[in-house]
Amino acid sequence: MNIIEVTNLSHRFLDGAIGIDNISLSIREGEFIVIAGRNGSGKTTFLRHLNGLLLPDTGSVRLAGVPVSRDIPRARQMVGMVFQDADSQIVGETVFDDVAFGPENLCLDECEVKRRVIKSLETVNLRDIADQRPHLLSGGEKRRLAVAGILAMEPRVLIFDEPFSDLDYPGVRQILHQTLSLHKAGHTILIATHDLEKVIAHADRLLIMSDGKVVMDGAPEMTIKDVEAFGVREPCASRLGMEIESWLS
Amino acid sequence: MAELTAFHFRPGTSLLHTLDVRFKILSFILISISSLKAYPLSLSILTLVIFYAILISYLRFKSILKELRYFFVLLVFIFAARAIFASALPATNFQQSAVTWQGIYDGALVCWRLLLVVLLGLIFVSTTRPSDIRTAVEWFLMPFPFIRGKRVATMMSLIMRFVPLILDQARETVDAQRSRGVENRKNPVYRLIKLIIPLMIRTFEKADKLAVAMEARCYSEKQTNKALSSNRSDWTTLFGVICLSILLVNN
Repeated sequence: MNIIEVTNLSHRFLDGAIGIDNISLSIREGEFIVIAGRNGSGKTTFLRHLNGLLLPDTGSVRLAGVPVSRDIPRARQMVGMVFQDADSQIVGETVFDDVAFGPENLCLDECEVKRRVIKSLETVNLRDIADQRPHLLSGGEKRRLAVAGILAMEPRVLIFDEPFSDLDYPGVRQILHQTLSLHKAGHTILIATHDLEKVIAHADRLLIMSDGKVVMDGAPEMTIKDVEAFGVREPCASRLGMEIESWLS
Repeated sequence: MAELTAFHFRPGTSLLHTLDVRFKILSFILISISSLKAYPLSLSILTLVIFYAILISYLRFKSILKELRYFFVLLVFIFAARAIFASALPATNFQQSAVTWQGIYDGALVCWRLLLVVLLGLIFVSTTRPSDIRTAVEWFLMPFPFIRGKRVATMMSLIMRFVPLILDQARETVDAQRSRGVENRKNPVYRLIKLIIPLMIRTFEKADKLAVAMEARCYSEKQTNKALSSNRSDWTTLFGVICLSILLVNN
């Protein structure tokens, strides 16, 4: 079943620059997709259309058959987005308060908010520091807190925008492990990155974007050899003709 | 960074942690105002009450002293100013400025009062969840239809969340400029402009990102309303605080 259907999607910025240009694709429920491309290729702009943060100039985005523009709160609840800069995403004065922000905006009753917060914090292993102030967390913990804040809204699709930027090796492994667990639990995962090395071993599908267009779309093993033409570095193992290993191995 | 945000919630199960936040705010306001009229005897009683409150809320005196160390410097300045500029019998002459006994007494009294109010604030913030303070602010603003309580409360909580980040950013900008020799420029206005403009630009960029992230999490002013409930211990505490305030004012 397709959870996301994008048809002839285009978006221009106010200054007339093209953000994305005539993108059409479908995403099946439970897929793990990596979207790569050089800076400014349109990855973030595309992803922001999937939960109604941006609305298309032409074309449409449908979530489980319903156009995003028809019910934006539903789209934002259904498609959770974890941003590149975790610090700018965290709004609560404590870890608990931050995770509660989304469910409270959904006007859930207090017991349900608390249940979701505890469940989300347990999922990302942050329950023990629920009363901690967010700015005292490490980079990896902040990223996990941002994920918990999204999980508390119980989305079906999770979008990660450059999830590994500014993280050390253990931080990358933590986030990768978390992402794979969420995928295993049935979430559809979309990861935007320009660094394939860390995640491509787990992807079902690789999309390459360039100048606002999807220029390659297919299984990673079929497309990985041609990515350097679009400003994305081919993983080392692939260059050496070896099998790409997971960073969790 | 932690020293810049000395006042923060510490989880616990003490009586002060469990009191209704509205009663705590009212008590804080009542004692703070009445302590401005208090003199040594009643201030001594208030000091004992505050020490007892610190004990039962499991705050450590050592960490309080550490967190208030900059405030003590401020108190020294206030004491010195009051001692020098109050007019009465001179205790000693320091370069034509007369330090008077009355000034020393006034300075000590003002510093004592300020210290107690700050300690009260520290106890309040340390034993109250920020989200509860936000809910209480909304509750207190309900009678004012022209003020959007939820918006004010959200702004308050965002300020508390982002002040440390802005200070971090300022420190990083200062360090980056020092590493490029800004200290060789003697003009303070030039240096201030070079600090403030990039800091403001980055702060606005962060604010933009924050707004988008809040939108992505369905932010609106229609949110879950948290229930506030009072019980007998809240009313008993308030009664005690009113009695204490009367004692402070009439002493």
